[in-house]
Amino acid sequence: MDMSWDSWGMLACLCTVLWHLPAVPALNRTGDPGPGPSIQKTYDLTRYLEHQLRSLAGTYLNYLGPPFNEPDFNPPRLGADTLPRATVNLEVWRSLNDKLRLTQNYEAYSHLLCYLRGLNRQAATAELRRSLAHFCTSLQGLLGSIAGVMATLGYPLPQPLPGTEPTWTPGPAHSDFLQKMDDFWLLKELQTWLWRSAKDFNRLKKKMQPPAAAVTLHLEAHGF
Amino acid sequence: MSVLQSWLVQALFIFLITGSIGELIDPCGHISPESPVVQLGSNFTAVCVLKEDCMDYYHVNANFIVWKISHFTIPKEQYTIINKTAASVTLTDVASLNTQLICNILTFGQLEQNVYGITLISGLPPEKPKNLNCIVNEGRKMKCYWDPGRETYLETNFTLKSEWATEKFADCKTKRDTPTSCTVDYSPVYFVNMEVWVEAENALGKVTSDHINFDPVDKVKPNAPHNLSVSNSEELSSILKLTWINSNMKNVIRLKYDIQYRTKGASTWSQIPPEDTASTRSSFTVQDLKPFTEYVFRIRCMKEDGKGFWSDWSEEASGITYEDRPSKAPSFWYKIDPSHTHGYRSVQLMWKTLPPFEANGKILGYEVTLTRWKSRLQNYTVNDSKLTVNLTNDRYIATLTARNAVGRSDASVLTIPACDFQGYLAESKCYLITVTPVYADGPGSPESVKAYLKQAPPSKGPTVRTKKVGKNEAVLEWDQLPVDVQNGFIRNYTIFYRTNIGNETAVNVDSSHTEYTLSSLTSDTLYMVRMAAYTDEGGKDGPEFTFTTPKFAQGEIEAIVVPVCLAFLLTTLLGVLFCFNKRDLIKKHIWPNVPDPSKSHIAQWSPHTPPRHNFNSKDQMYSDGNFTDVSVVEIEANDKKAFPEDLKTLELFKKEKVSTEGHSSGIGGSSCMSSSRPSISSSDENESAQNTSSTVQYSTVVHSGYRHQVPSVQVFSRSESTQPLLDSEERPEDLQLVDNVDGSDGILPRQQYFKQNCSQHETSQDISHFERSNQVSSVNEEDFVRLKQQQISGISQSCGSGQMKMFQEVSAADAFGPGTEGQGERFKTAGMEAVLDEGMPKSYLPQTVRQGGYMPQ
Repeated sequence: MDMSWDSWGMLACLCTVLWHLPAVPALNRTGDPGPGPSIQKTYDLTRYLEHQLRSLAGTYLNYLGPPFNEPDFNPPRLGADTLPRATVNLEVWRSLNDKLRLTQNYEAYSHLLCYLRGLNRQAATAELRRSLAHFCTSLQGLLGSIAGVMATLGYPLPQPLPGTEPTWTPGPAHSDFLQKMDDFWLLKELQTWLWRSAKDFNRLKKKMQPPAAAVTLHLEAHGF
Repeated sequence: MSVLQSWLVQALFIFLITGSIGELIDPCGHISPESPVVQLGSNFTAVCVLKEDCMDYYHVNANFIVWKISHFTIPKEQYTIINKTAASVTLTDVASLNTQLICNILTFGQLEQNVYGITLISGLPPEKPKNLNCIVNEGRKMKCYWDPGRETYLETNFTLKSEWATEKFADCKTKRDTPTSCTVDYSPVYFVNMEVWVEAENALGKVTSDHINFDPVDKVKPNAPHNLSVSNSEELSSILKLTWINSNMKNVIRLKYDIQYRTKGASTWSQIPPEDTASTRSSFTVQDLKPFTEYVFRIRCMKEDGKGFWSDWSEEASGITYEDRPSKAPSFWYKIDPSHTHGYRSVQLMWKTLPPFEANGKILGYEVTLTRWKSRLQNYTVNDSKLTVNLTNDRYIATLTARNAVGRSDASVLTIPACDFQGYLAESKCYLITVTPVYADGPGSPESVKAYLKQAPPSKGPTVRTKKVGKNEAVLEWDQLPVDVQNGFIRNYTIFYRTNIGNETAVNVDSSHTEYTLSSLTSDTLYMVRMAAYTDEGGKDGPEFTFTTPKFAQGEIEAIVVPVCLAFLLTTLLGVLFCFNKRDLIKKHIWPNVPDPSKSHIAQWSPHTPPRHNFNSKDQMYSDGNFTDVSVVEIEANDKKAFPEDLKTLELFKKEKVSTEGHSSGIGGSSCMSSSRPSISSSDENESAQNTSSTVQYSTVVHSGYRHQVPSVQVFSRSESTQPLLDSEERPEDLQLVDNVDGSDGILPRQQYFKQNCSQHETSQDISHFERSNQVSSVNEEDFVRLKQQQISGISQSCGSGQMKMFQEVSAADAFGPGTEGQGERFKTAGMEAVLDEGMPKSYLPQTVRQGGYMPQ
């Protein structure tokens, strides 16, 4: 009779286990969300900045006047060599690892931000200055976001090499036109970088999703 | 009040003295602390210090100090004289907010001289600000607000602090008139989390609220959608399409909407289901509206995921649904001009215009048709709400429809009686008398009543039938009688029902019913039912109807069968479970575990091994996991049988060595082909001296076992035979049997024995065991052995299945075994023979004998 009670007990135990299975913490993972949300946020931010820059650039190019505000104006890239280039070979871009991808973004925006602050100082109208200031703040936020993602993934922040810190020096050799050309290229490069970053973070976002699912599955199996 | 005024004057005087003229006229002393802020409800102590020269001048010391608060003298008990020049006062439980505390000295002649005065300010430290939240109005700066907690009665500064993980923002200081909110100086950056908190500080303390961390995009209040417009559809009169322009936030976030509408003039708003407007869009079609009705709409939006705030409502916009055809025919009436001439009469038809909710559009005109009795019709199209026509004196039927842009209404019909219409009313005919009121502006809604000149009993009774028949009840139904046969108002019905033999039962049923349920019927019975309908004047029976109630109610059989099946199933399950739990016990009784000889091994088979009484135990079963044991078994059996002539047995054994291979192989063959290999090899190697371990061990055991203990010999024989049941149950018999075998009688007991063990696989092995013992002990008894074989085979036939199985296993093992050596091959063939032989289960043992080579010998 003991035997039979034992087996009833086992049956009851099994039922209880099955019943409580959905409550097993491993199956309801709500703990550390991982880098997913912060990457998503950074992606959203790049899209938002892209949108913001579109109106800002329009205003600023109008402020620069013709030919800069002409839609088909496409000058050669003169004297803008210090700007970080966003354009990259597609294969190279594809083969970038996460760390390198993030590092390149971080470095680019730290440089672009410095140049942009210089631009801000030169802007003539208060309204334009306000817009530029807000864009600078937003870009600062993007930089922080990228740093946050890198921290989540355990990558160190790139340390600026001494002496390479970009500074906005309104060179005396620069004529007014060349100065405007630099401004034009800064905005253009910013735009390209924001496009690229949106792609970068979209790629990261997609890459980060499957492992998260795998972890969940693994835990489920463990729970069973 | 006068007290306060005089006090104020006094205070002013003191301040003048101590303040402006203070430098000129030195006060006589001072109070410490100078400008205290005290927490309400706490204690406060002030000290008044007199100056030496003043004391000398007035001839006073600290004992002469008198404290006054708000013009009242403080009792001496609260004073403390510290030294000659200083005395303190302690105020307990400070309750008033602003208090003047004055130090006086009592000079000569009991005159009070003011020395110094202070203002005591009391209040409370700030409470921790609660419910901090922020809102970002689209296009504007972020504003945060909070609940500052209790009143402090003191000037309290609130500072809103905010920061990113990487950067701090400028503090936001509240303005004096809005201490519970602050608008930050910068535009918030969406999609970057920030941390915000409030610090509250006054003279009595400083507290910080809980920090909140959020993404400003989750606190957005978008601008309301604008340029809301409404358009209707010609195809569908029940819809209106709304279009609007979204706020710029739609470029940043996804939006959801809240749309409300109401008919113009209504006060309550209806709501579009939120799930229909849960994504960014710039138009929406509202359905299920009334035709040709003006509706007012408004819309607001917020972030799609519900984080943030609803925008303000948009400006209202209105639109009218498209027209639909009139939903109702206008009611109309006629007036006949009494002065008719030449066989004509002037008839005026009049009607009311449809109300808007029935007109469903603008009424473009009315169409009237007049049909003379069996004649062609005349059409009129009228814009007015009346029509005058000249008609003959015949009867006319007039119809009226209203028409709008979409279509026309149903027609309302009116009969204009013939001019010489005279009322001839027949008895027992139903008349519908209609009265239509005619007002100045047209006819009202008509009222009708049915009437009979004189009623009569119905000319036919109702026909009853069953709708549903149950075991104890039947549902009857019938049709209302046609008006033609009613001959009056049907007041009630009576249902008569009876069984073949029983009395008739009558039930009265109200005339409004067409269905009735007879209950308390007997099952499996024929019932006859009929029905009568009654007017005021009498009744009439209908035809009789018979039905039979069923034996079982619907579902009754199922109700019985299903539980029985379930119970059976449950019992079976419990039985199986029980059997499963008690399988060991059951197996012990019915299907005992038998150690597999093929798995036995010699190591455990030693004289020191205690007798194995319990062969059921699995351990032992598996301990016999070696093939060599099998060959041992038979030989030991030999030993046992041969114990009266020990040496002789040995000799025999040696003699048989050539055949031993066969012998062992025979056993091996019977149990497992491959098992024979060791013994084969042993016999191959050496005839006289059994060098192989198996042989050696085996003989050792035999001797020691035998010499030391006779009973243990028997036990060994058991274990060798691997026949557990015999061990426990049949030992004496077995012993007897052995004796009997020697004595060449005892066939009967043996039979019994086998029968008892018939169900066991091992039977044959056991038999073989006996066979062998026989053979070994007395080769000359071949005939006897044969006889026994026959018997055994006869017995084993009945339990052949088990043996069959064994053989199959054997052959399978054979197939995999190496069996390259000659004897092995022989075995193989023997095994094959055994399998092929239909009597193999029976001949299992005999085969052993044959293979053992006894027969030829």
